[in-house]
Amino acid sequence: MDKEKDESDVFQAIEGLTPVDPNALADFERAMNEEVIPEIVKAVEERRMLAAESRHWQLKC
Amino acid sequence: MYTWLSLKSSADLVQLEAHLSPEYGAKRVVEKLAGGISGAVKAVLIEHNYVDKDYRSTYYHFYSKKGQHYRADCVRLHFFDQTVTYDSTALKLACHEGPDRLGDHYFGYMVLRPTGIATIGRTVLSPDIRSGACQYIITTEHKVHLLGYKLKVHGFPSMDQHVDISVCAHVACWSILRHYSERYSTYREFLTHDITLMAQPFDPGGLVPSRGLEVSHAERVFQVAGTYPVHITRDKKKASDPSFYRQLIAYVESGFPLFAAMQERRHAVAVVGFERRQPVNTRLPGMRSAWEEVQKLALVDDNNLPYLPVEVKGGTPYSAEDIDAFIVALPEKVFYPADAVDRLAEARFKLGGAINLPPEDESIIRYFITTGSALRHFVRDHESEFDPKLVATIMKLPFAQFIWIVEFATEPQWAVGQVAVRAVIDATSSLLEVMPLWLIHSQTQALVFNRLTVGLDLQSGIRGLQLADSGRVGFTRMDQNLRSTQTK
Repeated sequence: MDKEKDESDVFQAIEGLTPVDPNALADFERAMNEEVIPEIVKAVEERRMLAAESRHWQLKC
Repeated sequence: MYTWLSLKSSADLVQLEAHLSPEYGAKRVVEKLAGGISGAVKAVLIEHNYVDKDYRSTYYHFYSKKGQHYRADCVRLHFFDQTVTYDSTALKLACHEGPDRLGDHYFGYMVLRPTGIATIGRTVLSPDIRSGACQYIITTEHKVHLLGYKLKVHGFPSMDQHVDISVCAHVACWSILRHYSERYSTYREFLTHDITLMAQPFDPGGLVPSRGLEVSHAERVFQVAGTYPVHITRDKKKASDPSFYRQLIAYVESGFPLFAAMQERRHAVAVVGFERRQPVNTRLPGMRSAWEEVQKLALVDDNNLPYLPVEVKGGTPYSAEDIDAFIVALPEKVFYPADAVDRLAEARFKLGGAINLPPEDESIIRYFITTGSALRHFVRDHESEFDPKLVATIMKLPFAQFIWIVEFATEPQWAVGQVAVRAVIDATSSLLEVMPLWLIHSQTQALVFNRLTVGLDLQSGIRGLQLADSGRVGFTRMDQNLRSTQTK
Protein backbone atom coordinates (compact mmCIF):
# COMPACT_ATOMS: atom_id res chain seq x y z
CA MET A 1 0.00 0.00 0.00
CA ASP A 2 1.49 3.36 -0.95
CA LYS A 3 2.14 6.09 1.61
CA GLU A 4 -0.61 8.40 0.36
CA LYS A 5 -3.22 5.68 0.62
CA ASP A 6 -1.96 4.71 4.06
CA GLU A 7 -2.26 8.26 5.45
CA SER A 8 -5.74 8.79 4.04
CA ASP A 9 -7.15 5.57 5.49
CA VAL A 10 -8.13 6.51 9.00
CA PHE A 11 -9.82 3.13 9.42
CA GLN A 12 -6.47 1.36 9.57
CA ALA A 13 -5.64 3.19 12.78
CA ILE A 14 -8.81 2.14 14.59
CA GLU A 15 -9.24 -1.41 15.83
CA GLY A 16 -12.46 -3.37 15.73
CA LEU A 17 -14.12 -1.68 12.77
CA THR A 18 -16.36 -3.76 10.56
CA PRO A 19 -17.92 -3.06 7.15
CA VAL A 20 -21.46 -1.68 7.24
CA ASP A 21 -24.20 -3.10 5.09
CA PRO A 22 -24.90 -0.27 2.60
CA ASN A 23 -28.58 -1.22 2.67
CA ALA A 24 -28.72 -0.12 6.32
CA LEU A 25 -27.76 3.40 5.24
CA ALA A 26 -29.72 3.50 2.00
CA ASP A 27 -32.78 5.10 3.57
CA PHE A 28 -30.64 7.84 5.11
CA GLU A 29 -28.81 8.48 1.84
CA ARG A 30 -32.07 8.68 -0.08
CA ALA A 31 -33.56 11.08 2.48
CA MET A 32 -30.45 13.27 2.37
CA ASN A 33 -30.39 13.47 -1.44
CA GLU A 34 -34.11 13.84 -2.03
CA GLU A 35 -35.32 15.76 1.01
CA VAL A 36 -32.76 17.05 3.50
CA ILE A 37 -30.14 18.64 1.25
CA PRO A 38 -32.72 20.46 -0.92
CA GLU A 39 -34.42 21.64 2.30
CA ILE A 40 -31.09 22.84 3.71
CA VAL A 41 -30.25 24.77 0.54
CA LYS A 42 -33.72 26.34 0.53
CA ALA A 43 -33.57 27.21 4.25
CA VAL A 44 -30.15 28.83 3.95
CA GLU A 45 -31.32 30.91 0.96
CA GLU A 46 -34.48 31.98 2.81
CA ARG A 47 -32.44 33.04 5.86
CA ARG A 48 -30.15 35.02 3.58
CA MET A 49 -33.13 36.91 2.16
CA LEU A 50 -34.58 37.57 5.63
CA ALA A 51 -31.20 38.82 6.85
CA ALA A 52 -30.99 41.20 3.88
CA GLU A 53 -34.34 42.72 4.88
CA SER A 54 -33.42 43.11 8.54
CA ARG A 55 -30.06 44.79 7.93
CA HIS A 56 -31.77 48.19 7.75
CA TRP A 57 -33.64 47.97 11.02
CA GLN A 58 -32.85 50.97 13.23
CA LEU A 59 -31.64 50.31 16.78
CA LYS A 60 -31.39 53.16 19.24
CA CYS A 61 -33.23 52.47 22.51
CA MET B 1 -8.55 57.63 47.44
CA TYR B 2 -10.27 54.57 48.98
CA THR B 3 -13.42 54.32 51.07
CA TRP B 4 -14.73 51.12 52.68
CA LEU B 5 -18.45 50.66 53.24
CA SER B 6 -19.74 47.76 55.31
CA LEU B 7 -23.27 46.66 54.47
CA LYS B 8 -25.75 44.95 56.75
CA SER B 9 -28.23 44.82 53.90
CA SER B 10 -28.62 46.22 50.40
CA ALA B 11 -30.45 49.20 51.95
CA ASP B 12 -27.08 50.35 53.30
CA LEU B 13 -25.91 50.95 49.73
CA VAL B 14 -27.50 54.38 50.15
CA GLN B 15 -24.26 55.35 51.95
CA LEU B 16 -22.68 55.56 48.51
CA GLU B 17 -24.52 58.83 47.88
CA ALA B 18 -22.60 60.52 50.69
CA HIS B 19 -19.24 59.55 49.21
CA LEU B 20 -19.79 60.35 45.54
CA SER B 21 -20.18 63.75 43.90
CA PRO B 22 -23.38 64.37 41.90
CA GLU B 23 -21.74 63.83 38.51
CA TYR B 24 -21.54 60.07 39.25
CA GLY B 25 -25.31 59.80 39.51
CA ALA B 26 -25.10 57.86 42.77
CA LYS B 27 -28.85 57.88 43.47
CA ARG B 28 -29.68 55.96 40.30
CA VAL B 29 -26.71 53.63 40.79
CA VAL B 30 -27.84 52.83 44.34
CA GLU B 31 -31.37 52.09 43.12
CA LYS B 32 -30.08 49.70 40.48
CA LEU B 33 -27.69 47.93 42.83
CA ALA B 34 -30.19 47.64 45.67
CA GLY B 35 -32.74 46.12 43.32
CA GLY B 36 -30.37 43.80 41.51
CA ILE B 37 -27.66 42.32 43.75
CA SER B 38 -28.02 39.80 46.52
CA GLY B 39 -27.47 40.19 50.24
CA ALA B 40 -24.20 38.23 49.91
CA VAL B 41 -22.49 41.53 49.12
CA LYS B 42 -21.43 42.80 52.55
CA ALA B 43 -18.87 45.44 51.66
CA VAL B 44 -18.09 47.93 48.91
CA LEU B 45 -14.65 49.46 48.42
CA ILE B 46 -14.85 52.79 46.59
CA GLU B 47 -11.74 53.42 44.48
CA HIS B 48 -11.63 57.15 43.67
CA ASN B 49 -9.66 58.72 40.79
CA TYR B 50 -9.74 55.53 38.77
CA VAL B 51 -8.45 55.81 35.20
CA ASP B 52 -10.85 53.81 33.05
CA LYS B 53 -9.68 53.09 29.50
CA ASP B 54 -13.17 52.90 28.05
CA TYR B 55 -14.31 56.20 29.55
CA ARG B 56 -11.02 57.84 28.58
CA SER B 57 -11.58 56.78 24.95
CA THR B 58 -14.84 58.75 24.95
CA TYR B 59 -13.36 61.58 27.05
CA TYR B 60 -10.53 62.26 24.60
CA HIS B 61 -12.81 62.15 21.55
CA PHE B 62 -15.97 63.74 22.88
CA TYR B 63 -16.35 64.95 26.47
CA SER B 64 -13.12 67.02 26.52
CA LYS B 65 -14.39 68.93 23.47
CA LYS B 66 -17.54 70.14 25.24
CA GLY B 67 -18.00 73.51 26.91
CA GLN B 68 -19.06 71.87 30.15
CA HIS B 69 -16.05 70.66 32.11
CA TYR B 70 -16.00 66.87 32.56
CA ARG B 71 -13.59 65.06 34.86
CA ALA B 72 -11.09 62.74 33.23
CA ASP B 73 -11.25 60.16 36.02
CA CYS B 74 -13.86 57.69 37.20
CA VAL B 75 -14.82 55.94 40.41
CA ARG B 76 -14.68 52.15 40.66
CA LEU B 77 -16.80 50.17 43.12
CA HIS B 78 -15.56 46.74 44.25
CA PHE B 79 -17.89 44.21 45.87
CA PHE B 80 -16.88 41.73 48.62
CA ASP B 81 -18.49 39.20 50.94
CA GLN B 82 -18.60 39.35 54.76
CA THR B 83 -15.23 37.68 55.31
CA VAL B 84 -13.14 40.51 53.84
CA THR B 85 -11.92 43.41 55.98
CA TYR B 86 -10.11 46.62 55.11
CA ASP B 87 -7.39 48.41 57.06
CA SER B 88 -7.67 52.05 55.98
CA THR B 89 -4.33 53.00 57.59
CA ALA B 90 -2.24 50.24 55.99
CA LEU B 91 -4.45 50.24 52.86
CA LYS B 92 -4.73 46.45 53.12
CA LEU B 93 -7.46 43.95 52.42
CA ALA B 94 -7.62 40.74 54.45
CA CYS B 95 -9.59 37.52 54.70
CA HIS B 96 -9.28 34.43 56.93
CA GLU B 97 -7.45 32.30 54.35
CA GLY B 98 -4.83 34.92 53.52
CA PRO B 99 -4.36 37.45 50.70
CA ASP B 100 -3.97 34.76 48.03
CA ARG B 101 -7.59 33.76 48.56
CA LEU B 102 -9.11 37.26 48.43
CA GLY B 103 -10.40 36.44 44.95
CA ASP B 104 -12.69 33.76 46.44
CA HIS B 105 -14.55 36.53 48.27
CA TYR B 106 -14.61 39.09 45.47
CA PHE B 107 -17.73 39.61 43.35
CA GLY B 108 -16.46 42.07 40.74
CA TYR B 109 -16.48 45.76 40.02
CA MET B 110 -18.49 48.62 38.53
CA VAL B 111 -16.94 51.78 37.08
CA LEU B 112 -18.92 55.01 37.50
CA ARG B 113 -18.38 57.70 34.82
CA PRO B 114 -18.52 61.42 35.71
CA THR B 115 -21.10 62.10 33.01
CA GLY B 116 -24.15 63.01 35.10
CA ILE B 117 -26.45 60.74 33.13
CA ALA B 118 -26.08 57.02 32.37
CA THR B 119 -23.06 56.84 34.65
CA ILE B 120 -22.56 53.08 34.94
CA GLY B 121 -19.44 52.30 32.94
CA ARG B 122 -17.45 49.11 32.43
CA THR B 123 -18.81 46.53 34.85
CA VAL B 124 -17.94 42.90 35.46
CA LEU B 125 -20.10 41.32 38.17
CA SER B 126 -20.24 37.70 39.19
CA PRO B 127 -23.61 36.16 38.21
CA ASP B 128 -23.54 34.55 41.68
CA ILE B 129 -24.66 37.81 43.31
CA ARG B 130 -27.18 38.86 40.65
CA SER B 131 -30.73 38.45 41.94
CA GLY B 132 -32.58 35.92 39.81
CA ALA B 133 -29.58 35.15 37.58
CA CYS B 134 -30.07 32.25 35.19
CA GLN B 135 -28.58 28.79 35.73
CA TYR B 136 -26.03 28.98 32.89
CA ILE B 137 -24.06 32.11 31.94
CA ILE B 138 -21.28 32.67 29.41
CA THR B 139 -18.39 34.06 31.43
CA THR B 140 -14.66 34.36 31.38
CA GLU B 141 -12.02 35.32 33.90
CA HIS B 142 -11.35 39.05 34.25
CA LYS B 143 -8.24 40.15 36.11
CA VAL B 144 -8.52 43.11 38.47
CA HIS B 145 -5.63 45.06 39.99
CA LEU B 146 -6.53 46.69 43.29
CA LEU B 147 -4.24 47.97 46.08
CA GLY B 148 -1.43 45.75 44.81
CA TYR B 149 -3.60 42.63 44.85
CA LYS B 150 -4.44 40.66 41.71
CA LEU B 151 -8.08 39.66 41.96
CA LYS B 152 -10.15 37.64 39.52
CA VAL B 153 -13.84 37.59 38.73
CA HIS B 154 -15.80 35.38 36.33
CA GLY B 155 -18.43 37.42 34.56
CA PHE B 156 -19.60 39.07 31.35
CA PRO B 157 -18.84 42.76 30.66
CA SER B 158 -21.65 45.32 30.66
CA MET B 159 -22.22 49.09 30.84
CA ASP B 160 -24.91 51.74 30.37
CA GLN B 161 -25.09 53.33 26.95
CA HIS B 162 -23.64 56.85 26.96
CA VAL B 163 -26.86 58.16 25.33
CA ASP B 164 -25.08 61.08 23.66
CA ILE B 165 -22.38 59.19 21.78
CA SER B 166 -23.41 55.57 21.87
CA VAL B 167 -26.65 53.60 21.98
CA CYS B 168 -27.79 50.14 23.04
CA ALA B 169 -26.39 48.46 19.94
CA HIS B 170 -22.91 49.91 20.52
CA VAL B 171 -22.98 48.58 24.08
CA ALA B 172 -24.10 45.10 22.98
CA CYS B 173 -21.22 45.01 20.44
CA TRP B 174 -18.75 46.30 23.03
CA SER B 175 -19.83 43.72 25.64
CA ILE B 176 -19.45 40.81 23.23
CA LEU B 177 -16.10 41.99 21.86
CA ARG B 178 -14.70 42.68 25.34
CA HIS B 179 -15.70 39.13 26.32
CA TYR B 180 -13.90 37.85 23.22
CA SER B 181 -10.70 39.81 23.89
CA GLU B 182 -10.59 38.55 27.49
CA ARG B 183 -11.53 34.98 26.60
CA TYR B 184 -9.59 34.37 23.37
CA SER B 185 -6.07 35.60 22.68
CA THR B 186 -6.92 35.78 18.95
CA TYR B 187 -9.02 38.93 19.39
CA ARG B 188 -7.72 42.37 20.30
CA GLU B 189 -9.38 44.77 22.71
CA PHE B 190 -11.69 47.51 21.39
CA LEU B 191 -12.62 50.53 23.51
CA THR B 192 -16.02 52.21 23.54
CA HIS B 193 -14.99 54.91 21.08
CA ASP B 194 -13.43 52.30 18.75
CA ILE B 195 -16.81 50.60 18.48
CA THR B 196 -18.55 53.82 17.43
CA LEU B 197 -15.96 54.24 14.66
CA MET B 198 -16.02 50.60 13.51
CA ALA B 199 -19.75 50.78 12.78
CA GLN B 200 -19.22 53.15 9.86
CA PRO B 201 -16.92 53.08 6.82
CA PHE B 202 -15.84 56.63 7.79
CA ASP B 203 -15.48 58.62 11.04
CA PRO B 204 -19.05 59.82 11.68
CA GLY B 205 -17.82 62.34 14.23
CA GLY B 206 -19.84 64.40 16.70
CA LEU B 207 -23.18 63.01 17.80
CA VAL B 208 -23.87 60.88 14.73
CA PRO B 209 -23.45 57.57 16.62
CA SER B 210 -26.19 58.59 19.07
CA ARG B 211 -28.71 58.64 16.23
CA GLY B 212 -28.58 54.87 16.36
CA LEU B 213 -27.25 51.93 14.43
CA GLU B 214 -28.71 49.73 11.80
CA VAL B 215 -28.33 45.98 12.22
CA SER B 216 -25.90 46.03 9.28
CA HIS B 217 -23.65 48.39 11.26
CA ALA B 218 -23.42 45.91 14.10
CA GLU B 219 -22.54 43.20 11.58
CA ARG B 220 -19.81 45.49 10.29
CA VAL B 221 -18.42 46.01 13.81
CA PHE B 222 -17.99 42.25 14.22
CA GLN B 223 -16.40 41.92 10.78
CA VAL B 224 -13.91 44.71 11.47
CA ALA B 225 -13.10 43.05 14.79
CA GLY B 226 -11.90 39.97 12.91
CA THR B 227 -14.83 37.64 13.51
CA TYR B 228 -17.10 36.01 10.91
CA PRO B 229 -20.61 37.16 11.82
CA VAL B 230 -23.62 35.06 10.90
CA HIS B 231 -26.89 36.98 10.79
CA ILE B 232 -30.13 35.06 11.40
CA THR B 233 -33.55 36.70 11.14
CA ARG B 234 -36.86 35.28 12.31
CA ASP B 235 -39.43 34.69 9.57
CA LYS B 236 -42.25 36.87 10.84
CA LYS B 237 -44.48 35.94 7.93
CA LYS B 238 -44.84 32.49 9.46
CA ALA B 239 -47.08 31.92 12.47
CA SER B 240 -44.02 30.53 14.22
CA ASP B 241 -40.38 29.93 13.33
CA PRO B 242 -39.14 27.31 15.81
CA SER B 243 -35.94 26.76 13.83
CA PHE B 244 -34.92 30.38 14.61
CA TYR B 245 -35.08 29.76 18.35
CA ARG B 246 -33.45 26.32 18.10
CA GLN B 247 -30.52 27.97 16.35
CA LEU B 248 -30.44 30.81 18.89
CA ILE B 249 -30.09 28.46 21.83
CA ALA B 250 -27.62 26.27 19.91
CA TYR B 251 -25.19 29.15 19.53
CA VAL B 252 -25.65 30.25 23.16
CA GLU B 253 -25.04 26.66 24.34
CA SER B 254 -21.90 26.73 22.20
CA GLY B 255 -20.60 29.59 24.36
CA PHE B 256 -21.13 32.34 21.76
CA PRO B 257 -22.89 35.45 23.13
CA LEU B 258 -25.44 36.79 20.63
CA PHE B 259 -26.14 40.32 19.46
CA ALA B 260 -29.95 40.27 19.49
CA ALA B 261 -32.24 42.83 17.83
CA MET B 262 -35.88 43.61 18.57
CA GLN B 263 -37.39 45.40 15.59
CA GLU B 264 -40.44 47.08 17.12
CA ARG B 265 -38.60 48.17 20.26
CA ARG B 266 -35.62 49.29 18.17
CA HIS B 267 -33.56 47.73 20.90
CA ALA B 268 -30.42 45.57 20.98
CA VAL B 269 -29.11 43.35 23.77
CA ALA B 270 -26.54 40.60 24.20
CA VAL B 271 -27.84 37.09 24.98
CA VAL B 272 -25.36 35.57 27.44
CA GLY B 273 -27.06 32.62 29.12
CA PHE B 274 -30.20 30.66 29.83
CA GLU B 275 -32.15 28.70 32.39
CA ARG B 276 -33.79 25.36 31.70
CA ARG B 277 -37.23 24.60 33.02
CA GLN B 278 -37.50 21.89 35.64
CA PRO B 279 -37.58 18.53 33.83
CA VAL B 280 -41.12 17.31 33.44
CA ASN B 281 -42.22 13.81 32.68
CA THR B 282 -44.90 14.54 30.11
CA ARG B 283 -44.90 11.08 28.52
CA LEU B 284 -46.44 12.89 25.57
CA PRO B 285 -45.35 11.71 22.13
CA GLY B 286 -43.55 14.19 19.91
CA MET B 287 -39.97 15.16 19.24
CA ARG B 288 -38.75 18.14 21.26
CA SER B 289 -35.75 20.41 21.02
CA ALA B 290 -33.45 21.93 23.63
CA TRP B 291 -35.20 25.29 23.06
CA GLU B 292 -38.48 23.86 24.34
CA GLU B 293 -36.70 23.03 27.62
CA VAL B 294 -35.58 26.66 28.09
CA GLN B 295 -37.49 28.82 30.56
CA LYS B 296 -35.48 32.06 30.52
CA LEU B 297 -32.66 33.78 28.68
CA ALA B 298 -30.01 35.88 30.45
CA LEU B 299 -29.40 39.21 28.75
CA VAL B 300 -26.96 42.07 28.98
CA ASP B 301 -29.34 45.00 28.44
CA ASP B 302 -27.82 48.45 28.90
CA ASN B 303 -30.91 49.63 30.82
CA ASN B 304 -30.35 47.05 33.56
CA LEU B 305 -27.70 45.34 35.60
CA PRO B 306 -26.16 42.41 33.70
CA TYR B 307 -27.71 38.94 33.44
CA LEU B 308 -31.27 40.26 33.20
CA PRO B 309 -33.47 37.14 33.32
CA VAL B 310 -36.14 37.25 30.62
CA GLU B 311 -38.95 34.71 30.28
CA VAL B 312 -39.32 32.90 26.97
CA LYS B 313 -42.97 34.00 26.73
CA GLY B 314 -45.05 36.72 28.32
CA GLY B 315 -42.31 38.42 30.31
CA THR B 316 -41.92 42.10 31.17
CA PRO B 317 -40.59 44.44 29.88
CA TYR B 318 -40.21 41.97 27.04
CA SER B 319 -39.73 38.27 26.47
CA ALA B 320 -37.24 36.14 24.56
CA GLU B 321 -39.78 35.71 21.78
CA ASP B 322 -39.52 39.46 21.07
CA ILE B 323 -36.07 38.82 19.60
CA ASP B 324 -36.42 39.16 15.82
CA ALA B 325 -32.83 38.70 14.66
CA PHE B 326 -29.44 37.86 16.04
CA ILE B 327 -25.83 38.03 14.99
CA VAL B 328 -23.34 35.44 16.17
CA ALA B 329 -19.68 36.37 15.78
CA LEU B 330 -18.11 33.06 14.78
CA PRO B 331 -14.51 32.05 14.26
CA GLU B 332 -13.45 31.52 10.66
CA LYS B 333 -13.74 27.78 10.26
CA VAL B 334 -17.43 27.19 10.87
CA PHE B 335 -18.83 26.67 7.37
CA TYR B 336 -21.77 24.35 8.09
CA PRO B 337 -24.60 26.59 9.38
CA ALA B 338 -27.03 25.86 12.18
CA ASP B 339 -29.84 25.83 9.60
CA ALA B 340 -28.21 22.75 8.09
CA VAL B 341 -27.59 21.04 11.44
CA ASP B 342 -31.18 21.77 12.41
CA ARG B 343 -32.54 19.79 9.46
CA LEU B 344 -29.83 17.17 9.52
CA ALA B 345 -30.55 16.38 13.18
CA GLU B 346 -34.02 15.15 12.36
CA ALA B 347 -32.79 13.19 9.35
CA ARG B 348 -30.62 11.13 11.71
CA PHE B 349 -33.68 9.07 12.56
CA LYS B 350 -33.35 7.50 9.10
CA LEU B 351 -30.26 5.82 10.56
CA GLY B 352 -32.40 4.22 13.25
CA GLY B 353 -31.69 0.62 12.20
CA ALA B 354 -27.95 1.18 12.09
CA ILE B 355 -27.39 3.02 15.37
CA ASN B 356 -30.09 2.38 18.02
CA LEU B 357 -31.51 5.89 18.16
CA PRO B 358 -34.34 6.47 20.63
CA PRO B 359 -37.78 6.56 18.99
CA GLU B 360 -38.24 9.81 17.05
CA ASP B 361 -41.34 10.95 18.89
CA GLU B 362 -39.77 10.34 22.31
CA SER B 363 -36.55 12.27 21.66
CA ILE B 364 -35.20 15.60 22.84
CA ILE B 365 -32.59 16.96 20.42
CA ARG B 366 -29.85 19.40 21.36
CA TYR B 367 -27.01 20.67 19.17
CA PHE B 368 -24.09 23.04 19.60
CA ILE B 369 -20.59 23.85 18.33
CA THR B 370 -17.43 22.84 20.13
CA THR B 371 -13.89 21.90 19.20
CA GLY B 372 -12.44 18.46 18.59
CA SER B 373 -10.10 19.06 21.52
CA ALA B 374 -13.00 19.90 23.82
CA LEU B 375 -14.76 16.67 22.83
CA ARG B 376 -11.63 14.64 23.55
CA HIS B 377 -11.22 16.45 26.87
CA PHE B 378 -14.84 15.69 27.78
CA VAL B 379 -14.47 12.02 26.84
CA ARG B 380 -11.26 11.75 28.87
CA ASP B 381 -13.03 13.28 31.90
CA HIS B 382 -15.91 10.78 31.52
CA GLU B 383 -13.82 7.83 30.34
CA SER B 384 -15.57 5.30 32.57
CA GLU B 385 -18.84 5.86 30.69
CA PHE B 386 -17.45 4.69 27.37
CA ASP B 387 -16.26 1.46 25.82
CA PRO B 388 -12.44 1.80 25.50
CA LYS B 389 -12.80 1.15 21.74
CA LEU B 390 -14.97 4.28 21.45
CA VAL B 391 -12.51 6.33 23.52
CA ALA B 392 -9.69 5.20 21.21
CA THR B 393 -11.77 6.07 18.14
CA ILE B 394 -12.48 9.60 19.39
CA MET B 395 -8.81 10.12 20.24
CA LYS B 396 -7.71 8.95 16.76
CA LEU B 397 -10.28 10.57 14.48
CA PRO B 398 -8.65 13.59 12.78
CA PHE B 399 -11.41 16.11 13.55
CA ALA B 400 -11.35 19.58 12.01
CA GLN B 401 -10.96 22.28 14.67
CA PHE B 402 -14.69 22.93 15.02
CA ILE B 403 -17.42 20.31 15.20
CA TRP B 404 -21.15 20.34 15.73
CA ILE B 405 -22.39 17.94 18.38
CA VAL B 406 -25.96 16.64 18.17
CA GLU B 407 -27.29 14.84 21.24
CA PHE B 408 -30.43 12.72 21.39
CA ALA B 409 -32.06 11.96 24.74
CA THR B 410 -35.27 10.41 25.95
CA GLU B 411 -37.35 12.36 28.46
CA PRO B 412 -36.13 10.31 31.47
CA GLN B 413 -32.52 10.67 30.30
CA TRP B 414 -32.89 14.43 29.84
CA ALA B 415 -34.24 14.75 33.38
CA VAL B 416 -30.98 13.36 34.79
CA GLY B 417 -28.61 15.13 32.39
CA GLN B 418 -27.95 12.09 30.18
CA VAL B 419 -28.16 11.38 26.46
CA ALA B 420 -28.64 8.20 24.42
CA VAL B 421 -26.81 9.05 21.21
CA ARG B 422 -24.20 11.61 20.20
CA ALA B 423 -23.38 12.60 16.61
CA VAL B 424 -20.25 14.53 15.64
CA ILE B 425 -20.67 16.65 12.51
CA ASP B 426 -17.81 18.31 10.66
CA ALA B 427 -18.37 22.09 10.98
CA THR B 428 -16.30 22.59 7.84
CA SER B 429 -18.67 20.48 5.71
CA SER B 430 -20.30 21.64 2.50
CA LEU B 431 -24.07 22.12 2.46
CA LEU B 432 -24.37 19.46 -0.25
CA GLU B 433 -22.61 16.64 1.57
CA VAL B 434 -24.66 13.49 2.11
CA MET B 435 -22.56 12.31 5.08
CA PRO B 436 -21.08 15.39 6.81
CA LEU B 437 -20.27 13.27 9.88
CA TRP B 438 -17.19 12.09 11.72
CA LEU B 439 -18.99 9.79 14.09
CA ILE B 440 -22.33 8.81 15.55
CA HIS B 441 -22.61 6.47 18.51
CA SER B 442 -25.05 4.99 20.97
CA GLN B 443 -24.16 2.76 23.93
CA THR B 444 -23.93 -0.34 21.78
CA GLN B 445 -22.97 0.80 18.29
CA ALA B 446 -20.96 3.43 16.47
CA LEU B 447 -20.64 4.45 12.85
CA VAL B 448 -17.26 5.93 11.92
CA PHE B 449 -16.80 8.04 8.77
CA ASN B 450 -13.57 8.46 6.84
CA ARG B 451 -13.42 12.18 6.02
CA LEU B 452 -9.84 12.07 4.81
CA THR B 453 -11.13 11.00 1.41
CA VAL B 454 -13.20 13.49 -0.57
CA GLY B 455 -16.25 11.87 -2.13
CA LEU B 456 -17.10 9.38 0.59
CA ASP B 457 -19.03 6.35 -0.60
CA LEU B 458 -21.12 4.02 1.48
CA GLN B 459 -19.11 0.94 0.57
CA SER B 460 -15.66 2.09 1.60
CA GLY B 461 -16.08 5.24 3.67
CA ILE B 462 -18.14 4.04 6.63
CA ARG B 463 -17.38 1.39 9.24
CA GLY B 464 -19.29 0.03 12.19
CA LEU B 465 -18.02 -0.51 15.70
CA GLN B 466 -19.73 -2.86 18.15
CA LEU B 467 -19.59 -1.44 21.70
CA ALA B 468 -19.98 -3.18 25.05
CA ASP B 469 -23.16 -1.94 26.72
CA SER B 470 -22.22 -0.52 30.13
CA GLY B 471 -25.83 -0.82 31.28
CA ARG B 472 -25.91 2.87 32.24
CA VAL B 473 -28.94 5.13 31.73
CA GLY B 474 -26.95 7.00 29.08
CA PHE B 475 -23.94 9.22 28.61
CA THR B 476 -23.45 12.50 30.47
CA ARG B 477 -24.79 15.49 28.50
CA MET B 478 -22.02 17.82 27.32
CA ASP B 479 -22.95 20.92 29.37
CA GLN B 480 -19.56 22.54 29.33
CA ASN B 481 -19.42 25.89 27.55
CA LEU B 482 -21.28 27.98 30.13
CA ARG B 483 -20.62 28.54 33.80
CA SER B 484 -23.11 27.17 36.26
CA THR B 485 -24.30 29.95 38.56
CA GLN B 486 -23.63 29.38 42.28
CA THR B 487 -26.26 31.63 43.84
CA LYS B 488 -25.02 33.50 46.91
